[in-house]
Amino acid sequence: MSDHIVRSYDRELDLLGRRIAEMGGIAEQMLSDAMDALANLDPELARKVVGTDTRLDALQREIEDEAILTIARRQPMAIDLRECVAAIRVSGDLERVGDLAKNIAKRAIKIAAEARLPRAIIGIKSMHEFAAIQLKDVLDAYAQRDIERARAVWSRDVELDALEDSVFRDLLTFMMEDPRNITFCTHLLFCSKNIERIGDHTTNIAETTIYLVTGETPQMERPKGAIDKVGGP
Amino acid sequence: MNTITIEKPDVKIRVRDLDFFYGQTRALKSINLSLARNEVTAFIGPSGCGKSTLLRVLNRMYDLYSGQRATGEVILDGENILSPGIDVNLLRARVGMVFQKPTPFPMSIYENIAFGIRLYEKPPKSELDGRVEKALRGAALWEEVKDKLHTSGLGLSGGQQQRLCIARTVAIHPEVILFDEPASALDPISTAKVEELIDELSEEFTIVIVTHNMQQAARVSKYTAFMYLGELVEFGLTNRLFTSPEKKQTQDYITGRFG
Repeated sequence: MSDHIVRSYDRELDLLGRRIAEMGGIAEQMLSDAMDALANLDPELARKVVGTDTRLDALQREIEDEAILTIARRQPMAIDLRECVAAIRVSGDLERVGDLAKNIAKRAIKIAAEARLPRAIIGIKSMHEFAAIQLKDVLDAYAQRDIERARAVWSRDVELDALEDSVFRDLLTFMMEDPRNITFCTHLLFCSKNIERIGDHTTNIAETTIYLVTGETPQMERPKGAIDKVGGP
Repeated sequence: MNTITIEKPDVKIRVRDLDFFYGQTRALKSINLSLARNEVTAFIGPSGCGKSTLLRVLNRMYDLYSGQRATGEVILDGENILSPGIDVNLLRARVGMVFQKPTPFPMSIYENIAFGIRLYEKPPKSELDGRVEKALRGAALWEEVKDKLHTSGLGLSGGQQQRLCIARTVAIHPEVILFDEPASALDPISTAKVEELIDELSEEFTIVIVTHNMQQAARVSKYTAFMYLGELVEFGLTNRLFTSPEKKQTQDYITGRFG
């Protein structure tokens, strides 16, 4: 895209893009740290994640303010207008990703004391690995305006839903095996739900990317996993 | 050429293969577009793109100048207004025009409007009074001038003068009103009043507006035509054109990346 006649306009839009990239980096790191904290039962790392969330919240407010100011100042049209709207939407999604990672971290702190059954975490780890790749991919797709990549992320979300379904069944089994597992496994159920929700925000960002580039939001029905039918935790 | 089909709102004016020349210079190149009845259509584009020229063809304003000619067809309700047999005065009564700078006549507010009516008909005084009032109400000016109808139109503010010119145009019951940058010399409040007026007038008249202010085009019009170097680059629903235009040239222009 060629430059605006008014160069400060370009700088404003560039700034929005850089802030989104920064938020994306923080959200990715929070998710990865939260998972490490959960897997290694490391309350200290978990507390760090909880503390980082305020930075993400502040960035989101900053992006919103900047985008609104640009709308007021420049009355952007077409791609520029979509850029502002997309920045507001994506920052909202990333802020939620941060909240969900924070929630995983808080649960890691809670279950650190009563650690048991490491094998229950294996399924969630796979979910996390998948969700982390999806998140990275969608952030790249957004930064590079790559709609093919965004579409690929979008269609792969169904796999995360399937993984959640299987984690759900595993955890249920562990709870039935031994009622002493219930507290621990319930926390893990929420963690898996959180990761599944992160997948949904990733899918939102994929849709926003497609909207940003084409001006249209994909009309297709979202791919759904089996767990939606039973109404997951 | 990217064209849209106007279906539900029917076509008031159809422009076909229109070329326009200022002497040897071809200022419009094979323009084809349809203007929807009782809707607002905006023409946008950089200076010299031909948008005002196109507007001036629609009521044959160019006839006033020698060396200017149009070829092709401009069909107003089935009749080609470019054909030599057309009564140009009658045409201009059907297709009125409001200019960039308010152009009130140096006479009273009342006479500014009555003058135009008398050019075409000779109504009795009582009816004329009614027509003047109706026109001023139609232009949302009545309340502001009803107590000083016989003072000079030149004593009004710029925004009021522009609405007086709109009233003058409306008074002779045109079918189409052409606006050439109607608000570019006005302050924001007067601009808003003119825009509100355009919105109201579109219920009764087919409206075409040329504007450099893209936000204004986006606000007031249902359809927008983007022109560049004498060509119609893109024509479509305003909502679509300003959010996701099809042509790169359109996008570059409306986002301020031109040149």
